[in-house]
This record gives sequence, C-alpha cells and structure tokens, in this order.
Amino acid sequence: MKRLTKRFSAPEEEREHVKDRLGSILFLFLIETAFFGLILLFLVVEGIIPVFSVILGTILLSYLIKRFESVNDFLQSLFNCHKRVAILWGMIFLLALPILLHKSPYLIHILFLAGLYAALAIGLDFQVGSTHLVNFATAADYGIGAYTAALLSVKFGWSFWVVLPLGGVAAALFGFLLGLPTMKTKTYYLSLVTIAVGLVIYLLLNNFAWTGGPNGVSGIPFPRIGSFSFGSSLLIFGIELPFQANFYYLILILVIIEFVVAQRLYHSKIGLAWNAIRDDEIAAECQGIDVTGSKIMAFYTNAFFDGLAGAVYAFNVSFISPENFTFMLSVIVVTMVIVGGMGNTAGVIFGAIIMTLIPEKLQVLQTYRLWVFGLIILLMLLVRPKGLFPQKIRQYT
Amino acid sequence: MALLANPSCESEPLLGNSAMLHFVEVLIIALMLSSTYILIAVGFTLFFGAIDIIQFAHGDVAMLGSFVGMILYALGHITGIALVLPAWLFVIGVMLGTLVITGGLGVLFERTVIKPFRDSPMLMILVATIALGIIIRESVRLFYPEGSNPQVFPRLFPQAGFQLNGLYFRVGHILIFGISLLLILTMMIFINRTKTGLAIRAISQNIEAASLMGINPDLAILVTFFTGSVLAGIAGILIGSYFSVVKFDIGLMGGIKGFSAAVVGGLGNFNGAILGGLTLGMVETFASAYIPGGAPYKDVYAFIIVVFFLVFRPAGLLGEKAYQKV
Repeated sequence: MKRLTKRFSAPEEEREHVKDRLGSILFLFLIETAFFGLILLFLVVEGIIPVFSVILGTILLSYLIKRFESVNDFLQSLFNCHKRVAILWGMIFLLALPILLHKSPYLIHILFLAGLYAALAIGLDFQVGSTHLVNFATAADYGIGAYTAALLSVKFGWSFWVVLPLGGVAAALFGFLLGLPTMKTKTYYLSLVTIAVGLVIYLLLNNFAWTGGPNGVSGIPFPRIGSFSFGSSLLIFGIELPFQANFYYLILILVIIEFVVAQRLYHSKIGLAWNAIRDDEIAAECQGIDVTGSKIMAFYTNAFFDGLAGAVYAFNVSFISPENFTFMLSVIVVTMVIVGGMGNTAGVIFGAIIMTLIPEKLQVLQTYRLWVFGLIILLMLLVRPKGLFPQKIRQYT
Repeated sequence: MALLANPSCESEPLLGNSAMLHFVEVLIIALMLSSTYILIAVGFTLFFGAIDIIQFAHGDVAMLGSFVGMILYALGHITGIALVLPAWLFVIGVMLGTLVITGGLGVLFERTVIKPFRDSPMLMILVATIALGIIIRESVRLFYPEGSNPQVFPRLFPQAGFQLNGLYFRVGHILIFGISLLLILTMMIFINRTKTGLAIRAISQNIEAASLMGINPDLAILVTFFTGSVLAGIAGILIGSYFSVVKFDIGLMGGIKGFSAAVVGGLGNFNGAILGGLTLGMVETFASAYIPGGAPYKDVYAFIIVVFFLVFRPAGLLGEKAYQKV
C-alpha cells in the first residue's frame, strides 16, 4: 500500500519539480533581462553624473551579490542548471541589440569596436592569460592582418571572404616567426622583444612605399554577400538598421566562433599544457610537454585571431594607416586581458567590452579620457590584481 | 634629429679628407645621442638591480625633466631672478632645481605606484608603470599651457660656435656633452666608491642579506630612485637643449630606447648601461648616415640590434648569464 501511494504520488512530485523548473527558468529570465536592461541603460545614458552613477550602482550591486554568499551560490546554480536557456536568451538579446539601438548608429559602431577588442583580447589571452607570455606586439599582428587584407583587396580586387582568412594566416605566419627566436627570452626581456618588434612593424608600415607610408591604404570596398553590400542598410521586421549593424553581426559571429574555439582549447590537452607551462615551466617539461612547441603555438594562435580582427577592422573603416596600429593599442589590449581576468575567456571578453565602453562613455570628459583611462588601470591593478573574473581552478570530475 | 639631416651626409664623396670629416661629424652626433641614452639607461639598470622591476615610465620622468626645466626657466624670468643673477649662475640654478624636483618626483612615483606592487608578478608592475607613463604624459599634455604642441626649449647654453679643422663646433653642445660625461663619471664613483653606492649594490645582490647587514632597504631603494630620476631629469634638459624642441610624448620612445640600452648592456649592470647606450646611439646614427636612404629607418636598425641581442645574447654585453634553479 505504501509503495502504491508512493508510486501514485510520483507524477505529482514530478509535476511539482517541473513547476519549480518553470519558476526558476522564469526567474532566470527576469534576472538576465534585468542585467540586459542595465547594459542598455549604460549604453543609452549620457552625461558624467548619470554614467558614473550607473557604474557605481553596478559595482555596488556586484559587491552585494559577492558579499552574500547564498545569493551568489543561488545565482550560480541557477545559471548552471539552465545553461542552455540562459545562453539562448543572451543570444537573442545580442541579436536584438542593433534593433533596439537602431536610432543611434554611433552606439552600434561602439559595440562593433567592443567586439573587435574582444576578439583581440581573446587572442592575447592565449599568451598572457593561459601561458603567461607577455606580448606587446598585438598591434603588429593586428596591423599585418589589416594590411594584408586591405592591400589584396585594393590592388587585386579580391573578395573580403577570401582575404579575411588570408589576413589571419599572414598574421599567424608573423606570430610564428616572432615566436621562434623569442623562446629563449622571458619576462622583461620578452616584453622588450615584443615591444621592439611591434615598433619595427609600425615604423616599416610608415616608411614602405607599397603600404602607402603614413597615408596608409584607402578605398577598401565594403564586403558583399551576393548582391548585398555591407555598406547598405539592413531591413529586419520593417526596421531599417544602419549599415554599422552589418559589421556588428559580423564581429559578433567572429567573437562567438573565437569564444567556442578558446573554450575547446582550454578543455583540450593544449590548454592544459599552456596552463602547466604558466605554473611551472620546468615541471611541465619534465611531464613531457613540448614547451617550445606549445609556446610558439600560443604565439601564432594569438596572431591568427588578431589578424582576423585586423581584416574586419580594415573593411569596416575602409581606410587604414599606421596610426591605427601603435604601441598604445597593444597596451590597451593587454590591460583589457588583465582587467577581465587572465585565463578566463568570458571574463576577458567582458573586460574588453567595459574597457571600450567606459572611455567612450567618458567622451564627455573628452580630453581627459586617456588620463582617466590610466587611473582606472592603476586602480584596477591595486584593487583587483587578478581581474574582475579570475580564472577558476580546473576541476576534474 | 635636425642635425642628422646635415646636407654633407648625402652629396659629398666618402673619400679622403671630407670622408674623414664626415665621419667625425657623425661620431660627434652619435656621442651626443649615446649620452642621453646612457643617462636614461642607468636609471633602468639601477631600478632593475635594486628591486628587479622595470620602471616603464622612466622615459616620461626624463620628459618631465625637460618640462620642469622649462617651467623653472620661465618662473625665473617672471619673478625677475634671471635678471638679477649672472646668466651662468641662473642656468646652474635652473638645472639644480630641475634635478631635485625630478628626483623627488621619481621617489614619489616609487612610493605611490611601484611599492604596492613590489611582490606582484612582473606583468602587473609593467602594466602599472605603463599606466603611470600614460598619466604623466597626459598630465603634461593637459595641464601644461598648449601642452599638445611641441614646445620651444629655452636656450640655456650659449649658441656660439667655432671652426676647428673644418669642423663646426657649438659651445652649447660641447657643454652638454661635458655635463653628461661628468654626471656619468660621478655616478660611477658614487656607485662603486661610496658607502651608499655599496648599499645599493648590496640590495641588488640580495635584499634580505643586505638588510641583515644593517642596510635599510627602503632607504636604499629611495636613494636609488632619487639618483636614477635625477639622471633622467638631466637627460631631459640635455635633450631639450640639444634638439631645442620638446613634446609631451618624447618620453615614450626615450624610455623604450633607454630600456633597450640597459638590456643590450646587461640589465642590472651599471657599466653595461654605458656600453649599451653607446652601442644603440652609434648604431642608430651611423646606420642613418651611411646606409643610403636609411635615415627614416634609424629606429628600425636600433630595434633590430636590440632583438638580435635579446635572442643571441639575452644577458647583454656585460650581464651574467642567469641559470634557472629548480
């Protein structure tokens, strides 16, 4: 009898469980929507005081969530239980973002830039985050990708879809060549080699005649898919999106692909080897890890990603010059990786996004922008030296 | 830079007496450039020797040196002190004031920015000092009147010149070179012969053992940063009076060149910094003078040398080879 009632009650329990699931999914939806609302609010607000109040509010909120561990744990388990739903909702939000912002092409362009920096930062994270190899030559990889794509397209009329991978390959080749001899150097010496090589590339781009010298390359055509040019506006649900939205979707796809690749790498033997080298090079070597090969691989994987981003950038602005690929750019990308959290791809993307958005939002301060930027970096390093979202300890279950 | 575009670099045949003259001219330019590199490189090497860090904003400290000099010069003229004092005394006063202020600023940067990161990984210190460099540069650009434009540096040294064996010498340049040489020699004596220098060398070998021997490491680090920044400040003044124009962003390239010179010579080695600065200055000047069409690529040659050294002789010219201990 007892057994019977138990069996009878089982569906009810299940229903209860389903109800609970539905409730929690709904709750997740609400929380995510609130989060997206916060992002939208941040994008839309203008003026110093509103921007700062939003930033401070966010910091306070995240501090409170961190402070009360039960809330933190609850949110995390909620997210872990319904990962797919959360990701789906997030994707829908990302896809809908240009539609919500279709009245301000400027904001969409800023989001495109954020995505571009995210792509660069994901690449750099393989080196700085996973392997602790300092690299200040991001601008060189990025520039080589951009120049390769731009020159092939302008001089030979090749299609964007052909030159995009070629830009990546050219940059990867450069990364390989840079990585090969620098394997002997470490820490400060490695940073100096990469700084020097980055400057050499910048100076060469500035002085060669075939790269256009200081005038750069201009007249890069917009990419096309069939008869649709990326320069024309996109129509979705009767809403005319500015042409910047095309590039936003392009960079979104690129970042998602890079994110997936980075995740796969992280969970693969290669990612493990990189982390092992970071923690103790000699121990890693004793375990049979090919230290030199892995390091060089970190170099050219990073360069490949940077090159892709460079090609996309060249086709977005349709005019590139050496001034787009200075040492400062490399520094900015390094700080994005550090602020986001070294070794954590999602954190790095987040770091890139906020480090792009905050200076743009501080446009109000105009001339003081870089000054504030420097202060933010210093404060971040002092307050959270491991970044906003540090890499979690690997767990094997 | 202005001197490098000397017309005699191009047209004259590189034969006989004129070739010799040309060579001497280039050599003089190279020595001038080298001396500024050395003055900056010594700072890098001192800091690295003392606490194993790279103060990436050191080039910007040198830039501050030239701006502080300019401000003091202007102040002297506004308050009328410049008219009361004899010219040479006023110039010496300006230079001494600049030395003290830049040294103080260097110490301030060490206390506020570098000290909190002393135990952090090297990437943190590097990025922190790069951020410091951004803040210094931007501060000058924003708060110095019309800071984003190139500033004409006041003529501290006499502009007169004289002819010797067909070569034209400027008194000012000779003075600049003499001051650099004097300072470098003073530094050498200070590091190698005095008790404070001994303390600096001691903490560079082993900071814990040195503190057990009764050396106050904090004080020694402070002295290190003061002297290093003083030299950078003087380098700033010399660059200013040599090129007669300074801009807020000269510190970035100056810092990278100084860092490179220190590495080429062997980081942490005082004599190495001198040798490294000489190497870099010579390569840059001679390559741009003797390789046809090479002038725009002068920095490229310098950096290729740096990369070459780092790859094939990472310890530098005089540095000790570091073995990794398990």
